[in-house]
Amino acid sequence: MSAAIEIGDVRRVFTAGARTVRAVDGVSLSVAEGSVMGIVGESGCGKSTLARLILGLMAASSGEILVGGQNLAEMDRRARARLIQPVFQDPYSSLNPRRRIGGIIAQPLAAQGMRRGERAARVREMLAHVGLDPGMAERLPAQLSGGQRQRVAIARALILHPRIVVCDEPTSALDVSVQAQILNLLAELRRAFGLTLVFISHNLAVVEHVATEVAVMYLGRIVEQAPVADLFAAPLHPYTRALLASVLTPEPGLGVPDVGLGDTLPDPSDIPPGCRFHPRCPEAVARCRTEAPATRWSGARMVECHLADFTSSSPDKTAAAHPETA
Amino acid sequence: MTPVLDVSDLRVTFGGRVAAVRGASLQVAQGETHCVVGESGCGKSVTALAIMDLLARGASRSAAHLRFRGEELSAREIARLRGDRLAMIFQEPMTSLNPAYTIGSQMGEVLRRHRGAGRREALDRSAAMLARVGITAPELRLAQFPHQLSGGLRQRVMIAMALLCEPELLIADEPTTALDVTVQAQILRLLQALQREMGLAILLITHDLGVVARVAHRVSVMYAGEVVESAAVGDLFAAPAHPYTRGLLRCVPVPGETPRDHPLGSIPGTVPRLGPDFVGCGFRDRCAHAIPACAGVIPRQGDAHQFLCRLPPGWTETRAA
Amino acid sequence: MNVRALSGFAGVAVVGLVTAAAIAAPWITPWDPFAQDLGARLIPPAWMDGGSAAHLLGTDQLGRDYLSRLIYGARISMMIGVLTVLASGLIGITLGVLGGFFGGLVDDVVMFAITCRLAIPLILVALTVVALVGSSLTVVILTLGLLLWDRFAVVARTTSMQVRTLDYIAAARAAGCSRTNIVLVEVLPNIAHHLIVVATLEMALAILLEAALSFLGLGVPPPLPSWGLMIAEGKDYMFFSPWVIVIPGIALFVLVLGINLLGDSLRDLLGGRAAR
Repeated sequence: MSAAIEIGDVRRVFTAGARTVRAVDGVSLSVAEGSVMGIVGESGCGKSTLARLILGLMAASSGEILVGGQNLAEMDRRARARLIQPVFQDPYSSLNPRRRIGGIIAQPLAAQGMRRGERAARVREMLAHVGLDPGMAERLPAQLSGGQRQRVAIARALILHPRIVVCDEPTSALDVSVQAQILNLLAELRRAFGLTLVFISHNLAVVEHVATEVAVMYLGRIVEQAPVADLFAAPLHPYTRALLASVLTPEPGLGVPDVGLGDTLPDPSDIPPGCRFHPRCPEAVARCRTEAPATRWSGARMVECHLADFTSSSPDKTAAAHPETA
Repeated sequence: MTPVLDVSDLRVTFGGRVAAVRGASLQVAQGETHCVVGESGCGKSVTALAIMDLLARGASRSAAHLRFRGEELSAREIARLRGDRLAMIFQEPMTSLNPAYTIGSQMGEVLRRHRGAGRREALDRSAAMLARVGITAPELRLAQFPHQLSGGLRQRVMIAMALLCEPELLIADEPTTALDVTVQAQILRLLQALQREMGLAILLITHDLGVVARVAHRVSVMYAGEVVESAAVGDLFAAPAHPYTRGLLRCVPVPGETPRDHPLGSIPGTVPRLGPDFVGCGFRDRCAHAIPACAGVIPRQGDAHQFLCRLPPGWTETRAA
Repeated sequence: MNVRALSGFAGVAVVGLVTAAAIAAPWITPWDPFAQDLGARLIPPAWMDGGSAAHLLGTDQLGRDYLSRLIYGARISMMIGVLTVLASGLIGITLGVLGGFFGGLVDDVVMFAITCRLAIPLILVALTVVALVGSSLTVVILTLGLLLWDRFAVVARTTSMQVRTLDYIAAARAAGCSRTNIVLVEVLPNIAHHLIVVATLEMALAILLEAALSFLGLGVPPPLPSWGLMIAEGKDYMFFSPWVIVIPGIALFVLVLGINLLGDSLRDLLGGRAAR
């Protein structure tokens, strides 16, 4: 199967006066057609910048991005819109407060030049797909709840039947019960429309539920990548292990784990030499301070760490095996 | 032993129309962490603000009793005790710290106000407290401004500020929601350590059931302004009694346990906004087990494990076909 | 709350009244504002000694009915106000949105233009223009229109910079909308309420400036009944016939106050709705 997205050593640098922020610092990633690529990381890791690069909303400083086999930088805006669409985090700022829902959802159609009459029919159809009343088309965003707005955002993203949808923390601003509704909706629509999803989140439990493959980002690079079951069962990179250890599952009696990271805050304008994670890494050795680790692959797994060993799995972080689906 | 905080039948209404809290009761004992958990609009933050008398104008607050260490908390009492024996920390450390003043001057203000400390003494005690919350080079930090610190550091400063006068009760409103997940773990461990050292009673407001499970001793689940279930943490997760609590627990994906290709459990509908005259169960429009009787007075069942529902304890789901 | 509502109503009432008078001037004025009657000079207003009901607000030094001149003066003031705001608004909003939305070099140029504009002294420019082309209503409107755009530009720039970072703009770009479409459909409607408030304030400013220019002889030429000119012409008779300058003075004050109150209440009204 060809890759839906092919990212080749992409970098994105921001300069503000004397400071240079290397938000994305050499990311190479391949997202397979029909998969759900989860991208996890904390503040400063560059995942949101990467999302904007993939969507074509920002030009890369260097490197190449291929979407649907075509070079993103050379695509005209309408062709790109037909291929890849976003769903953003904040339902309160992702809808134009002065436009009616119908107009918002129809916007991609209008940009393609579709006539008004045809647009209305497609909007109605899309509203039904996302579980909203057709009467919603006449309302203003202020009249909708967070969950409803996010459904509208999803409807807008899908109305051109794109191949790829990039979800940037789509449920982080929603209540738990609403989050579940939206995640279920995304799963259903993904099956119905045959979508490829890029799912960015800091919530590992959610990523574990929805993703087929996971990439862990730290300070602008992918430090580990693996199929989801492998990543959660046997994480290789110390940062991945720390992230997984910090997931607080609703199981009483287990207490709060000591994640073991130092207090240094990750700063993309001041990336440490050698391995960029070494100041916080509980397992760092002398080599980590001077030499950047090479990218190593084994089958579908990738890791950038001097100490990682593909053959052994770490003993202190094993999750239960996934229950087989019915 | 008298509980540090004893709230009974707290009611808060905004503008006479929106009843944010409709009769909440809870108690926090010394050395205990009591979590109030719920989704947006349930009234948990308003409850915390009401206890500290920090509500906006236009809010009316009433309670059967609101006792701190057995004494009634009048508005004047609260003003005197705030920052001293009762402290509060908030979700957004950037807006709770004044960006125009250094850390040292903000912490010093607390000590000057409540302990009459002089400048040198205030700085020394502030530095000591910063060290205690795990901040390295505290003297350096005292001279810095909030924007020079990361989110996690700022939240530690907030905690240090709150604990300067060795309070007996700390109210924390979503203290880790805005932080990265690795930092969250560190901050929660810090709070637990400080609780052990100081015998601190903590009222922790959160929407995150994972946080609740890992740090709470007791839990109150709030929905639409009421405490719908209240129990020791082990009991709540092992045998949730209220349909809302059960629904909420089903919504949270647990790595390794939640089946991947099945939809997550969810609760249909949205949280209602209720007026002060609302009668009956606030959850009935979203509950699969609602009957006409749910529009009437709902009994509060149980003793150590309380819940507000007409269903009997230990009820089981009846699967619709 | 009540004081605010009252002042809002006052603003609407004043502006509405003056606009209505300005539009209806040909039909409601009792006399021709240009007709001189040297036998009826400096008659005091009807409520003072020597006044008569024929001239409710008296006459000026050339025997022209003051009420009629006042009403026609309202025309001039409103025309100045509206046309200046349209011209300066067009210039300022275009520049501000271009700079705020596109940023980078475009923004640098716009900021430079605004700084230059702020360095220009209005009165000296008006003097120069009048010296070059003579004074007339058109000259005044053009001068003010081409000079009063800075506040529009600054507000448009700041608000469009804020809007630019919001997700719905990113969503519009991802949807394939052209930049023009985004500026017109996504940005402008969301900054319009700020700009309307600026427009009312600029209108008040333009009216006051015109009065000042006309007072100095740099604005509207006689015999046009500009309120500023009326004050200038009447200042020689200030001590014995004070109504000649007091009446247009009060009219200016009331109109400008009304416009400012209207602008305030518009800001409260529109700002509140937008905040939700």
